[in-house]
Parts: sequence; structure tokens; C-alpha cells
Amino acid sequence: MDETQRRVDEIRKERSELENHLIDELVAGKINRREFIRRGTVVGLSLSSLSFIAAACGGDDDDGGGGEGAATGATEPAAGGNVQQGGTIRVALIQPTTEPNPLLVQDEGGAGILGATGEFLSFSDENLELQPRIAESWEPNEDGSVWTFKIRQGVKFHNGAPLVAQDVVTTFDKLINPDGGSANAQSALGGVLSQGGIEAPDEATVVFNLDAPNGNFPTLVSSANYNAIIIPADLDPADWGQTFEGTGPFKLERFTPKVGLTVVRNEAYWGEPAVADRVEIKFYDEEAPMILALQGDEVDFVEHFSVSGGKALLDDDNVQVLAVKAATHRQLHMRTDKEPFTDKRVRQAIALSIDRNALVEGLWEGQADLGNDSPFAPLYPYTDQSVPQREQDLEQAKQLLSDAGAGDGFTVQLDTWNGFEIPDLAQLVKNYAQEIGVTINLKITDAATYYGDGVFGKSTWLDSVMGITDYGHRPVPNVYLTSALSGDPKIGVWNSAHFKNDQYDQLVRDYVAALDLDSQRAVAKQIQELLLDETPIIFPYFYYFLSAAKPNLQGAVSAATGQFDLSKAGFTT
Amino acid sequence: MAAPERRIGAIGRFLLKRLGLAAISLFLLSVLVFFAAQVLPGNVARRILGPFADQAAVEALNEELGTDQPLLTQYWDWISGVLTGDLGESLAYGVPVSDLIGDALLNSLKLAAFAFVMVVPLAILGGVVAALKRDRLTDRVITIGGLSFSTVPEFVTGILLILVFGLWLGWFPVSANAPEGSSFLTELKYLFLPALTLVILLFGYIARITRAGTIESLDADYTRTAFLKGLPRRTVIRRHVLRNSLLPTIAVVSTQTAYLIGGLVVIETLFNYPGMGRLIFTAANQKDFPLLQSGVLVIGIVVLVATLLADLLYSLLNPRIRFATAE
Repeated sequence: MDETQRRVDEIRKERSELENHLIDELVAGKINRREFIRRGTVVGLSLSSLSFIAAACGGDDDDGGGGEGAATGATEPAAGGNVQQGGTIRVALIQPTTEPNPLLVQDEGGAGILGATGEFLSFSDENLELQPRIAESWEPNEDGSVWTFKIRQGVKFHNGAPLVAQDVVTTFDKLINPDGGSANAQSALGGVLSQGGIEAPDEATVVFNLDAPNGNFPTLVSSANYNAIIIPADLDPADWGQTFEGTGPFKLERFTPKVGLTVVRNEAYWGEPAVADRVEIKFYDEEAPMILALQGDEVDFVEHFSVSGGKALLDDDNVQVLAVKAATHRQLHMRTDKEPFTDKRVRQAIALSIDRNALVEGLWEGQADLGNDSPFAPLYPYTDQSVPQREQDLEQAKQLLSDAGAGDGFTVQLDTWNGFEIPDLAQLVKNYAQEIGVTINLKITDAATYYGDGVFGKSTWLDSVMGITDYGHRPVPNVYLTSALSGDPKIGVWNSAHFKNDQYDQLVRDYVAALDLDSQRAVAKQIQELLLDETPIIFPYFYYFLSAAKPNLQGAVSAATGQFDLSKAGFTT
Repeated sequence: MAAPERRIGAIGRFLLKRLGLAAISLFLLSVLVFFAAQVLPGNVARRILGPFADQAAVEALNEELGTDQPLLTQYWDWISGVLTGDLGESLAYGVPVSDLIGDALLNSLKLAAFAFVMVVPLAILGGVVAALKRDRLTDRVITIGGLSFSTVPEFVTGILLILVFGLWLGWFPVSANAPEGSSFLTELKYLFLPALTLVILLFGYIARITRAGTIESLDADYTRTAFLKGLPRRTVIRRHVLRNSLLPTIAVVSTQTAYLIGGLVVIETLFNYPGMGRLIFTAANQKDFPLLQSGVLVIGIVVLVATLLADLLYSLLNPRIRFATAE
């Protein structure tokens, strides 16, 4: 028997059913090589096994199904001769809005500073691949309800104390503590992991006993959950801001609230030491000064900029733009339990009136994917690409309205807030609706007014008949599927459309429990089709995450979560 | 002339009266800002924990922060702290308010002082020259030019200056915050563009007031008397006209203090400068009550001090005022 084949068989014998299924999919050509490697890292196969199997078992590089990898989200990795050791990288980051407390952070600026010195079990990069960090490897049990993580040995916190498995356990216990944990972490792990479900049988192992099988679990405890930096068991998160304690390649030099954070290379890092000596992160309240600072040579890296504010950068040849596909989107909800949107034909009509291509070109200069009225963004591998993309169709829209008895049109109020491109989107939606006889009155306030208290009855967001809400990127769509659309009031806490559909809820349960790509995609297809039919929410687009760097800065990595990794970044001569 | 002791007593009484008035003003200001802040929409704990947090957690935090107490209790807690020097702790940043305000105030004072030092002499010169050359071309240029500049919004001026002097010519940095440990001159270089923006904005107004004051004193009886006495033009202007024409200027400049210290939100944001304007604005957005209230109070104190100094200067230059107090 062929030596390679024998070795492949040996590897396969030791792997779980889930991992073997993935290999089967590769062999059968259902996924391409790139997708296999991506999925493989999530499931827990080591990169070396993955490359070996991928090479041995064939599989093309062209698209075999599922989403493609992201547009370039990294500058070229630091090539040996070109990049100089040392130097100071200056970063422009949006102002954090809370104190540096891993439990309280819920914005991009805060996530940026947590990740500057803190480290995660794994890092979710621009291709949605999980790179091992504090966790060396991870493995599911038969049905994906128990995940075992091997913790890297020899890792030290910046204060010199060694990291042990117990630190991981207490970190997550604090995060998911129903009485004072992290709201953001809980939105990802609610219903997945509960307190008491995490244990450390020994110093090098952490076992997560889940509430229910979950094929995407490792992503939920990676850097994508930006509060989940591993901190010492005895450190109160409220005190984290004193020392910025972590295990990462950089450690705290100086922090000035409202002004900036400076970190220096951690010489005792467990991995390869960082290329740069120092990273100076400066906080900016607004985008314009950030962009001017890059052009004026006062920063080397802008963590995030928008298309509307950064046209100058997009056109500038002297600037590297890093575009990462993301699931960041807007939800235009229509209350399914209130006139005029109780009839799904009316909702479909509105959805058919908008020209999504024009929105992508006009609002995002093409730097976005089309949305098809479901949370399944094109970048997810389990999104079924065969479901037809909804296009603008004014005739059909008018027909649907008249079938539903609303042929004479109607007037409705749309509530939202004044941030990002949202007012422009609202105005465009209003214009499109006008073409089918629907008059939308816009009421645009500010975020505090729109979100209110964040609970039904006390929040314009959740009470309005029609509204636009901004959703940040998540590497798996689980939270969009559950919190924003579930008919169970305990789960659907963000269900602004008041959508209640038992078949949908069951499909979502099936999706979450599905462990292999095939079944996930099969269920996703059904969900996508159901939502296209019911259309409680219009998802017009999923836009890319843009960062910018000076041309002489190589090796900077940006992920769509707003995390950035500068450990391999340095300046070329 | 009144005896020296009576003069000192008069100044002392003057100061005491002013301090008393200042205390009352500050008290009224504190009440006003406290209750105005309460009107802002949103809920403090909800703002800190975010729209997706659990309601129970929000209520727990509100209780911990004391924001669910009756308003009068909250007011008293805050104001009694201020009177003993404790300005409270920032709800958003978890650090003492006095730390944040201390740094921001210093930054604002630096920028204001720099802008001041540039615009006041320039505007006074402009105003006096315009008055002396009244209705001629020079006057027209100064008056209309100054007026035009002051109507351009500061973010337009600011961005233009950044583009031209910061990016194209590269003469000045595009942000105002010099790195730690910079020399005095380097700090000035960083502050130059924002200060220049302010100069362009304020020049027209101050120059026009000075011009009006100068014209009035040029037309006054005592000036004509001085000329008729045979004094040279230059001496007349220096000794008689100027000190009277500057009176309205001083009044106007002191009223700009509130704007220069607490109102520069746009310029501070554009140049990424951590001053008081931005601090207060963000505090209002974040419903960070201790920071907002104490910050406004501090600005109020600065304004009152500036007004007091202006009044003292006024009375120094205008003997009539001085002697009126002495009687």
C-alpha cells in the first residue's frame, strides 16, 4: 500500500468522527483545499496534519462550495532580509468608551486595548482560521457537546507568574457569570456554556462541557470573543487596567485614559518575540483626524476606517488598504406583529423595492457583499450559495402590495440613529419605497435614544414598527440567528421584528447542533429560503472591514472583529 | 484723592463682593448643570454596560453607582464632595475626575494662551489701524477681511490649514498633541495650527470692537483737548486714546474665555487634542455625570476668575471706575 495512504489512514484512525467527516468531504470534492484547512483549524486538527492530508487527498484550490477566503487582510509576512528589527509602530485607534475592564468592554476601541497585551485561547484571523495561542490544540467528543483544550505549557504572564489551566477556567467563569459577567461574551456563549461547565482536570487541560452540541464552539472562545483574554485567576477584572496583565507578545509601558496606550516587546514571550520594540496606540474620537494622521505621517497604521470617511485613502497609492471580508451589517426590521407589516407580502415588497447593488456601490464603493435577507453572509462557508439572490423588482413589489390589499400605498415611520452611513441608508430606503407608493417618515435620533434601555417596552430599537440597527461582525452567525430572530422571549432578546416562527426556531436548533459542513449547509439553505419568504428583516449588505497602513509597514494583520496583531509587523527599509 | 488706607479698603470690599457673587453664580451653575444633565436621554448603567446587557445587571449597576437615588440626594452627594475637594470618579473611565480634568484643563489653557498671545495684539493693532485710517482701503480690508474669516466655520479653516501647512507643505504636524517630553518649542509647533485656526476665527470680532472703541475715543472731547494743547499725534494716541479704546476690547476678550476653555470641541476633535471641550462633550454623550458636572463647574470657575481679572484690568485703565469705588 502506498506509504502516503498508509500515513493518512493512521492519522484518520486517531481522529474523531467529525474530523473524519471533514476529510471525506475533501476527498469527495465537496469542499476545496482552502476550506478544508480553515474548517480543520476550527475543529482542532493541527496545521501540519492538515497540510499533509490536503496534499495527500487531493482537492482543488478552486471553489468547491461555500465562501471563498477573505480579500487580503494581511500585509506580506515579514520577509527575512527586508524587515528591520525594532522600531516603534504608531497606531490610530478609535477612543475606548469604557475603562479597561475585560468584563465591561463592548466597543472596538476597548477590544483593541484588551488585545494589545492580552492573549486568547486562539486567534481568529482574516480568513476565519483559528491560530493556536494559549491553547495548543482542541478536540471535540463524538457529538460535539464536550470540547477538550490542551493548554500550552511554559506560558508566563507579564508579571512572571506561570499560566495554568485554572486561569482559563476562572477567566471564563467570570465572563459568563450571570451576576456581573460580560454582556458581550454572554451574547456569544448564552445557551452554549454555563457556569460550572468548565473544568481543569490537570494543569495542561481544560474541558468545556456544553449545554448542547455546538460545532462552532472553538470560535466562540477565540479572539472573536474579544472579552475572552486569559487573565490570572486571582486578578479582579476591575483592576486589570492597573497592569494590563496578559501573556501576549507586548506588555504595558504606559496608559493614559482618553489619550493613548503604549506597549513594549515582551522579551519573555512563549513564542517568537515581536519584531517591533514598541507600539504606540493613540486614541481618536473621530475618523477624520485618524486619516489625516496617516497622511501626515503621524501614525503608521489605522485600525479601522470607513469607506465614506476614507475615500482619500482608497485613492491614495501611497497607502496600503487591508480589506477583510466581514459579517458587519445593518438590519432593517419590520414588525411582523403590527400593521402594515403583518402580511409577509408587504414585507417582501419593501425588500424587493431596494436596489442592493446600488447600495453597495454608492455607500461602500463596492467594498461590501450583497445581503440576501438572512444572517448567512457570503463569507461563511456554510452559507448556501445556490439560494437565488434577491434583486430589485419594482413591478413585483407593486403586485405584492396590491395582492395584500395595500395597493394604495401607506405611510409608516422608520426610527434609527445618526451614525455611520445609517442616515444615508435610511434616506435611500425611503426613496426606493416611494417608487412603490409607500411613504416612509424618517425619525433619526442618536444611539442613546434609539437603543434606550435595551429591553422591550423601553427601547425604540425593539419597539419601533420599522428601524435600522447596526450589527458588528461575528465569525459565526449563531447569535444573529438566535438573539435577533428567535420566538422564545428568553432567547430572542434582540428580536426587533417580533418574529415568531416555530419552524424557523427548530431549523436554528438543528443548525447549531450540526457538526459537519454538509449538514450545516443543508440546514442553512432551509433557513435562508424561509427567511427570504418571511422577510422579517432586510439585510441589505455585509461590508468589509478596512484598515490602512503606511507602505513601509509589513506584517500587520487585521481581523474583522477589530482585533489587530502587530507581533510580526515591522518596517522595511 | 482718597487716603491710601481707604483705597485698600475699597479694593478689599470690591474683591469680597465679587467673591460673594462668584460663589452664588457657581452654586446656581451647579444646580443648573446637575438638573440639565438629568434631562439627557438614556440610562447611566445601560450606557456603561451597553444595549445588549441583561436588565438585572443594569439595575444592579445603577444601585451601585447610586444613580437610582432621589435627585436631591445625588446632588448633595456630589456637591458636598466638590466642596471638600473630591470631584468624584468618572463613571465611564473609573479614574478620579480631578485627574482627567487636571490634564484636560492644562491642555486647554496652553492652547488658549497661545491663541490669545497671537490674536490679541494682532487684533488690537488691526482695530487701531483701521480706526486711524477710517473709511479708507486699509480699514475696509481689515474690517471686511476679519468679518469674512470669522464667519467661516472652524472645522473648514482647520482642515484647510491642515491640508496646506500640514500635508502639502509639511511645515507643521497635523495633530496638536506633542509627544511626551517634548521641548517647549516643539509643543508650540504642534499647537500652532489649532491656535492659528482660533486666531482666524476671533480676529475679526476683536478687531472690530477695538476699532469702534478707538473711533469713539478719537472723537471724544478729551482727545480734541489733547490735540489742541499741542501734543504730538503719537503721544495723544498712546496716552489718551488707547487706554480708553481698549476698555471694550478687554470686556470682549474676557467673554471669549468660556469658549476658549470649554467650547473648542470641534478644534480639539479635528486636531485630536485632549482638552476640556472634548472631555465635557464626551461626558455628556456618555452620561458620565461626575465628569460632566465637575467639568462644567471647573470651567465656570475659570470664567469667573477671568472676568474678575478683566474687571481689575478695566479699573486700572479707567480711573473713573477706580475712583468711583474709592468713594
